[in-house]
Amino acid sequence: MKKNLKQAEAASQQVLSPEEAAEKEALRAYESEILTQSAPHHAGPCLLSARDVTVKFNLRGKELTAIRGASLDVYEGETLAIVGESGSGKSVFTKTFVGMLDKNGRIDGGQLNFHGEDMAKYTKEAEWLKVRGKKIAMVFQDPMTSLNPVRTIGEQIAEVIMWHFGKTHDEAKAETIELLRKVGIHDPEARYKQYPGEFSGGMRQRVVIAVAIACRPEILICDEPTTALDVTVQAQVLDLIKSLQKEYKMSVVFITHDLGVVANVADWVAVMYAGKIVEYGTVHEIFKAAEHPYTKALLRSLPQLGTKGHDLYSIQGTPPSLFKEIKGDAFAPRNADAMKIDFEEEPPIFPVTDTHWARTWLLSPQAEVYRAELIKREAERMDNAVPEAPFNYNGAEPLLQVRDLSVQFKLSGKTFKAVDNVSFDIYKGETLSLVGESGSGKTTIGRAIMRIYTNNVSGKVTFKGDRITGKLSRHEKKKLHMEMQMIFQDPMASLNERAKVDYIISEGLYNYHLFENEEDRVAKVERILEEVGLTSEFVSRFPHEFSGGQRQRIGIARSLIMNPDFLVADEPISALDVSIRAQVINLLNKMKKERSLTYLFIAHDLSAVRFISDHIAVIHKGHLVELAPCEELFAHPLHPYTKALLSAVPHPDPDVERNKKLLHYDPAMHDYSTDKPVWVEITPGHFVYGNDAEIRAYRRELEL
Amino acid sequence: MAKYILKRIVRSLITVSIVFFVVFMPLRFMPLNGYFPDEMIKETDEATRMTYLRNLGLLDHPLIQLGRFVKNLFRGDLGRSITVYAKVPIATLLVEKIPVTAFLGFWSMLLGIVAGLAMGLMMVRFKDKLGDTLGNGYIMIVRAVPSLIYLFFIQIWVSKWFNLPLVYYDYKPLSWILPIVSLSLSSVAWYALWLRRFMVDEENQDYVKFATVKGLSKKAVLKKHVFRNAIIPLSAYLPSDLLNIISGSLVIETLYAIPGTGGLLTTAIKEQDNPLVQVLVLMYAVVSIFGVFFGDLLLAFVDPRIKLTED
Amino acid sequence: MNRSEHKLCSFPKSLVRNQDLFAPAPFNAAESEKTGASNYSYWKSTLRTFFKSKAVVALVVLVCGIILMSFLYPVFSSVDPTKVSTDRQDWNLRPSLTHLFGTDGLGRDIFARAWYGCRNSFLLAFCIALSDVGIGMIMGALWGYNKKLDPIMIEIYNIMTNVPSTVYLVLLAYIMNTSYLTLFISMASRGWIVEARFFRNRILSIRDSEYNIASQCLGTPMRRIATRNIIPHIINLIIMEAALCIPYSIGSEVFLGFVGVGMPVDAITLGNMVNHGRGSFTLHPYQMLLPAAVLCIITVAFYVIGNKFADASDPRNHV
Repeated sequence: MKKNLKQAEAASQQVLSPEEAAEKEALRAYESEILTQSAPHHAGPCLLSARDVTVKFNLRGKELTAIRGASLDVYEGETLAIVGESGSGKSVFTKTFVGMLDKNGRIDGGQLNFHGEDMAKYTKEAEWLKVRGKKIAMVFQDPMTSLNPVRTIGEQIAEVIMWHFGKTHDEAKAETIELLRKVGIHDPEARYKQYPGEFSGGMRQRVVIAVAIACRPEILICDEPTTALDVTVQAQVLDLIKSLQKEYKMSVVFITHDLGVVANVADWVAVMYAGKIVEYGTVHEIFKAAEHPYTKALLRSLPQLGTKGHDLYSIQGTPPSLFKEIKGDAFAPRNADAMKIDFEEEPPIFPVTDTHWARTWLLSPQAEVYRAELIKREAERMDNAVPEAPFNYNGAEPLLQVRDLSVQFKLSGKTFKAVDNVSFDIYKGETLSLVGESGSGKTTIGRAIMRIYTNNVSGKVTFKGDRITGKLSRHEKKKLHMEMQMIFQDPMASLNERAKVDYIISEGLYNYHLFENEEDRVAKVERILEEVGLTSEFVSRFPHEFSGGQRQRIGIARSLIMNPDFLVADEPISALDVSIRAQVINLLNKMKKERSLTYLFIAHDLSAVRFISDHIAVIHKGHLVELAPCEELFAHPLHPYTKALLSAVPHPDPDVERNKKLLHYDPAMHDYSTDKPVWVEITPGHFVYGNDAEIRAYRRELEL
Repeated sequence: MAKYILKRIVRSLITVSIVFFVVFMPLRFMPLNGYFPDEMIKETDEATRMTYLRNLGLLDHPLIQLGRFVKNLFRGDLGRSITVYAKVPIATLLVEKIPVTAFLGFWSMLLGIVAGLAMGLMMVRFKDKLGDTLGNGYIMIVRAVPSLIYLFFIQIWVSKWFNLPLVYYDYKPLSWILPIVSLSLSSVAWYALWLRRFMVDEENQDYVKFATVKGLSKKAVLKKHVFRNAIIPLSAYLPSDLLNIISGSLVIETLYAIPGTGGLLTTAIKEQDNPLVQVLVLMYAVVSIFGVFFGDLLLAFVDPRIKLTED
Repeated sequence: MNRSEHKLCSFPKSLVRNQDLFAPAPFNAAESEKTGASNYSYWKSTLRTFFKSKAVVALVVLVCGIILMSFLYPVFSSVDPTKVSTDRQDWNLRPSLTHLFGTDGLGRDIFARAWYGCRNSFLLAFCIALSDVGIGMIMGALWGYNKKLDPIMIEIYNIMTNVPSTVYLVLLAYIMNTSYLTLFISMASRGWIVEARFFRNRILSIRDSEYNIASQCLGTPMRRIATRNIIPHIINLIIMEAALCIPYSIGSEVFLGFVGVGMPVDAITLGNMVNHGRGSFTLHPYQMLLPAAVLCIITVAFYVIGNKFADASDPRNHV
C-alpha cells in the first residue's frame, strides 16, 4: 500500500514533457494575471504577496496538508477578511506571514514576498525579528491567555517599544500611556500598573491591540479577535480596530468564521475551504454576488436568511480530511449541485470581474448553460417560502413553570447569586430562548432545571404541575429523566471519549432498562442514529473519530432516545462551524415537530435565536430583564440592555452592518436605591424588569 | 494582607498542635525501656525502676504528660536525654547542634537552588539535545536510586578522587564540601526537574506565542516571560525542598558523623532515647510546618494572581 | 460589472475540457459525511507511543524477567539463602561460578539471597503500591464527590505532608516493632493521602465535565458512572502512580534499615542486604555492590517505566 503511494508520488514528480510544462506555465501566467488584475482598484500598493503557499504538518506519523497552494495579496490601507471554518487553514496561512507555524509544521512550497524578500525562505530567527511586531503584528483569539498574567499591562506594552525602538523606560512608559488611552482604556496611568487579571475580556483585547500597534506595523493580523468576546463587547472592539486602521493607514488581515463580522469590517474578502482560497472579491461582491458554491451555501445557510417554520438551507456532510489527497474540487462531495468535472479535476481560478474571482468550474464558459439553470432554480426556491404563523398562546398550557429561582455559588469563601429570583413559564410545544452573555447565569438556570444543581437552589420549578425542585423520590427522578433531557454546548467535552457510540447512545436505555432484549436495544440505537442523519456503522466507533457536527448529533440522539417531552439545549450550536450550524438547527426543528417537543434554548447568538424561538428571555447578571414573544422583542425592545444587545447583533450584510448604531448599556444608569425593581408584565406576554419610574417610561414608549 | 497572614498563622498553629498530639500520644505507649540508661537496667530492681519512672512523670495519664511537656516547653525545658547523652538537658543539646545543621542546610539549599535553576535552564536551552538528556539522566538517578546508595558511594569514592576528608571536622572547611554537595544533590534534581517542566508548560502558552509575535527574540521571551513565570510556581516548592533537606540531613549527618540534629535523631533511635526522639521529631515537624507557611506567604507575594485582600 | 461583459481574452485554451463533464453529478450523502478525523484510538496510541522507544521495551522485558525470576528462583534452585556455614573457608568468598555473587560474612550465598530479597522487596513494594493507589483512589473519589470531607481531608493532608516523610516513617517504625507488617503500615498510612489528593483533583474535573453531567441527566447510577465515566479516564494514572510507588517504597525500606528501624536482621530484603554490605564494604565491596546494583536496576526501571507511561498516556504526546 505504502509502496504504491510512493510510486504515485514519484510519478507525479517526474519531469514534465515540454508540452505539459508549457501548459503549466501558461496556467500559472493566467492565474497570476487574474490575481493581480484587481491592483488598480485597491487603496494602496501591494505589501505582501503570497503565492502557492503550501503548509504541511506531521501528525501522529501522518502528513497533513493544511494549506494546499494558497495565493493572496495584501494591499496597503485596507482590511482584508479571510473567512473559513475551523480546519480550513485560515489561521495557519496567516501564521506563515510571521513565521509562527507550530513545531511540527513547515512551509512546503510557494513564496511569501514582502519588501522584496521571500519570507518562505527564512530560516533564521534574526530574519523574522525584522518583521515580527515591527512590520507585521498579530492579535490572537483569546485575550484571556494572550497576556502574561504575572507582569503588569504597562510593562508588556513598554517592553515592545523599548525592544524595537531602543527607547528608555520613561519614554516607553509615556508612549504606552498614550497608547492605552488611544485604545479606549480609562485612567491609563493607574491601569499601567495593573495585572491582566484585573481587566475584563474586552479590556484585555484592547490591551493586546495596543501591544500590536505599538510599533506602527504595516500589517496587523487579527486572528478571530472577537470570537471569545460577548456580542456587545465584540462590536466595540471591531469599532476600535476599524478606527485604528483608518488612523494608522495599516493593512488589517482579519481572520474569522463569522460572516457578520466580515460584513462589518472588511473591504475585501477571501473565502478559504480545505486549505485553498476559493473566492476573492470586494465585500459587496462576496455578500451580494458570490460565485463559488461553498460561499453561496455558507451565506444561504445563515439563520438570518431563513424563513421561520421552514428548514434552513444547510450544507450537507463534513469538511474533507486533509490527510488524504483531495481530488478535484474539495467541496464537491458536499455540493448537491456539483458537476462531474468537480470530482475529476481541481478547478482553476476564473475571473468574475476585475476585482472578483472564484475557483470553480461553474465559471467556465463551458458550464454556462448549467449555471443559468442553477440560478433559475435558486430564485424559485427563494420565492415560495411563507413564514409559519407565530406560536399561539391562547389555550396553551404551561409545561414548565419557574418561580423565584435563585442559585448561589461559593467562590473563595464568598457567596454570590448566579441566578437571582427568576420567574418564567414555558408552554407546551414552544421554544423559549434564554439569551445573555457569558456569566449571565443562563446555563445555570438550565442546569438548575435539570437538577444538576440541587443544594444551592431556592425557589420552585414545576413540570407538568409537579414540583421538581428539592428532594424527589427515586420514582419521581426516573420520571423526570424520561421526560426532561439536555443537549450540551461542547461536542468535544460532552461525549465520553473512552466509550463507544453504542454505549453513549444506549446509556439512558441501560439506566432504566428501556428495552426488551439486546436486539431491541440495537434496533432502537440504529433508528435514532438514522433520525439524526448518521449511519448505523458508526456504533462501534469512539467519539474521536467524528467531526464536531456529527458529535453534536450523537449528543442529540443520546437525549432523544429517552423520548423526552422537554429538552434543555445549552448553546448547542455555538461551538459548531457555520456550515454545520444549519444542519443542527434543522435537526432540532425537525425533532420538535415530529416528537412535539418543548425546548429551552440557551444561546448568546441572537440571529439563530430569532430563527428558532417563539419566546425570548433576556438575562443579565443573573436577572431576567425582559421576556417577550420573538417578533415583539425585536420590534419593541424595552429594557436598555435588550436594546444594546439587539444593536450589536452582526448582520451578514455589509450595507446594514456599516450603518448600524451601537447602543451602550451601563448598569449604573438604574437608580434602584429607593425604588426597587420588579418583574412586570407590561403587555400580555411581554415582561420587563424595572422600578416604577422605568415601567412608566416603558409604557409611554410602547404607546408611541 | 495582615488578615491573610494572621489566618495562615492560626492554621499553622492548629496543624502544629495536632501534630504535637499525634506524635506525643503513640510515644506514650512505647515500651518503657527507652527511659532507662543501660547500666540501670542491669543494676536495679523493679521497685527502683518504678520510682524512677514515677519521678519522670511517665506513669501519669498521657494527657497530663502532654500538658506538662507543653508547659515545660514554654519555660525552655525540653526534658533530658537518657541513653545518648545521659542526663544532659535536651535544650542544651539542641542549642549546640542546631547551628551545625542549619549551617549545612542553608548552604546546601542555596547551592541546590543555584545549581538546580542553572541545570533546568540548560535543559530547556538544549531541549531534546544532549544537555537535556544528561540532565534527565541525572534527575532519574537521583530520584530513582535510593539516596543512601549514591550518598554512600560519593562518600567513599569522591572523597578518594579529590582527596577530601571522609568525615566532618568543624575546624576543617575542606571537610564541609562533600556533605553540603551531597545534601544538595536531590534539591538540584528537584529544581531542575520542576523548572524544566514549568518552562516547557509556559512555552506552550498563548502569551508566549504573543510575546514572540511581538518581535521579541527567543532569548528575551525565555528570560522575560517563560523563566519569570516558571519560577513563580517553583517558589511554592521551596518548603518541599526544606523537607527534602531535612530528610537528607538524617542520612548525611550520620554518614559524615556531623554533630547536628539529623545525626542525633538516628543515634537517638538506635539507642532508644525516647525523650530525645520525641523532641527531635516535634522540632522537625514544627520547622516544616512553618517552612510551608513561609512558602505560601512567599508565593502570595510573588504571584499577582493570588489576591491577598480577598477572603 | 456583469460577468458576461468581462473580458475573457486571457482564458487559456488548455482549460477547455470535455463538455460531458459539465453535467450534474449524483449526490452521495454518505460520501459527504466522510470525516476528517483519523481512526484514532486512545489506548492504541498510548501503547504505540510507549513502546516506540527501544529502551522502554528493554526495560519492560528486564523488569518482567526479574519479577519472574525472583518468584521462580526457589523452584529452580535448592540453595538455601539462610544456610550459615560454620566453615571459615566459605566466608566472604569472592564471586565465582559456584557463588555467582560470592558469599557473605556467614557464608550465605549472596546470589540466592539477592533473588529472595528481590521477591520479598517486591512483595512489600507491590502491597504498598496496591494500598496507596487503591485506598488513595477510593478516598480521592469520596473526597471529590463529597464536599463535606474537605476540611478533614485537607487537614490530614497538611499534617502528613508538612512532616518530612522520612521523619514520619522513622517515628512510626520506631514506635512499632519492626516487621514486614509494621513497615507496610508505616508506609501505607502516609502514601494514600498523597494519592487521594491527586485522584481527587482528577475526579473533580471529571465530575464537572459535560459528559458526566450528561450521564447525570440520564439518571446513570453511581456504579456505572464509576466504571464507565471515571475509571477509564484515570486507569492510566493508576498504572503510572503504582509504577512510581515501587522505587519509592524500596528506597524507603533501605533508608529505614540505615536509620536502624528497618526490617529485622534475619529478614532477607534488598534493603537489609545493602545495609549489611555497607558495613563490610572496605574489605568485601562486592557484598554491597552487587545487591545495590540489582536494587538500582529495579528502582530505575520502574521509575523510567512509570514516567514514560505517563508521557505516553498524555494525548498531547500522541504525535
